[in-house]
Amino acid sequence: MDFQDLASRLGIDDEDFMELVELFVVTTLSDIEKIKKSVQKKNCHDASAAAHSIKGAAGNMGFNDMFELAKTMEMQAREESLDGFDAYITDLEAQVNSLNPT
Amino acid sequence: MGNKQPYTVLAVDDNLLNLKLIEKSLSKEGYRIFCADNGPKARAIALKEKPDLILLDIEMPGENGFDVIEKLKDDSATNSIPVLFLTGVSEVDAKLKGFELGAVDYITKPFHPLEVLARVRIHLKLSIATNSLIAGQASKLKQLTEAQVSMLPTPEDNPLARFGVFYKALEEAGGDFYDILNITDNITGYFLADFSGHDIKTSYLTASVKALLAQNCTPVYSPAESMKMINDVLAEILPDGKYLTACYMHLNRTTKKMTIINAGHPPVVCMPVDGDPYLIKTRGDILGMFKDAQFGIKTINVSKGDRFLIYSDGLVESEKMTWATGAEAMLPVYKTVVSISYKEIPQKLVDKLFGEKLPDDDLVILCAEV
Repeated sequence: MDFQDLASRLGIDDEDFMELVELFVVTTLSDIEKIKKSVQKKNCHDASAAAHSIKGAAGNMGFNDMFELAKTMEMQAREESLDGFDAYITDLEAQVNSLNPT
Repeated sequence: MGNKQPYTVLAVDDNLLNLKLIEKSLSKEGYRIFCADNGPKARAIALKEKPDLILLDIEMPGENGFDVIEKLKDDSATNSIPVLFLTGVSEVDAKLKGFELGAVDYITKPFHPLEVLARVRIHLKLSIATNSLIAGQASKLKQLTEAQVSMLPTPEDNPLARFGVFYKALEEAGGDFYDILNITDNITGYFLADFSGHDIKTSYLTASVKALLAQNCTPVYSPAESMKMINDVLAEILPDGKYLTACYMHLNRTTKKMTIINAGHPPVVCMPVDGDPYLIKTRGDILGMFKDAQFGIKTINVSKGDRFLIYSDGLVESEKMTWATGAEAMLPVYKTVVSISYKEIPQKLVDKLFGEKLPDDDLVILCAEV
């Protein structure tokens, strides 16, 4: 992923962008934890809300793959289905961890 | 909003990343940003800091964006701060609801920081322009030392307004005043006011209010916005303790809607074409006392032939009763005049109530027909 390109698209400098990436990783991993717990409890509403949060943040950062994935999860949870969420979560976690600069 | 002070923006979003992104992109352009991740915190900051603009997320747990804007608009300390919604919802209904609640614009999520910046700039400019318009109008009127009392509009000169009126003013009194605003061929404004105190020349006040009505009662502004602008200018120009009670009826004969703005004035009487007369009661602040006053506002559907009566307190107030009880007590009297022409109703009411002996007070009664 080309962080410099994403930063310039957002109109902010690289340093600020990296700070936002770090915040994104922390908040998104926290949201993923919420989704995991929601799946265990079969709580579609909470799963949808957490996916909504990830979708918004990923969209604003320009992380399009994660945006699309979170959108799929949000819509599906809204329709009361958590099928395939384990695979989605694994995919999402891998994408978030690949961002982590540390 | 001084020259050297940075403009302040309150960003409200439950997602910390979004808040940080807004903060970073706006602060580097010289704005001072306050952040809140929930509704109650946002309202507390809005009240304390009075930001120049608010960016408000709709979907938040607990108090959502609609709840927050409703409370902000209900509070005179925060109701003039422009609010832009941040919304991931693309449905038209949600957007319309936002506008209805008083938002000036919305930004669809995911948002691009440069779009946020552009919209913040546009709305700050609009807000500055509105504020300077109010300041400009106030300063022009302050310089007005001698004004001519314009002729009170007559039913004959304003046939499209379809109204009848009775007007009696005491010579020296600040007293009562009315005006008719022909906003378009199908939209008419009816304004009636009663000034407090008698020590400012009637000509000065009526001319000022008449000029403000002409400037601000246009198709561009909603009735509530028109009254807000007029109030804010009057609050600037009237001496302390001077104010007016007023009623503004805005009738759109095409959409068949009547909007009534009441500023501490006795209630409007509706005389429906197929029913008994009733009072339209609303509570609201008086006009010109302080900025950002809250007026009673009511919009009702009307039918052709419905009549509306506005009047000064001289009609319903007496030594025996205040206008609050007087207004109720008059309902049976209104019922006796429903069959006559709207043009003759005001005079007929005066004849019935006072006969030959008119009260020692100003008196205006105006009847308009849809």
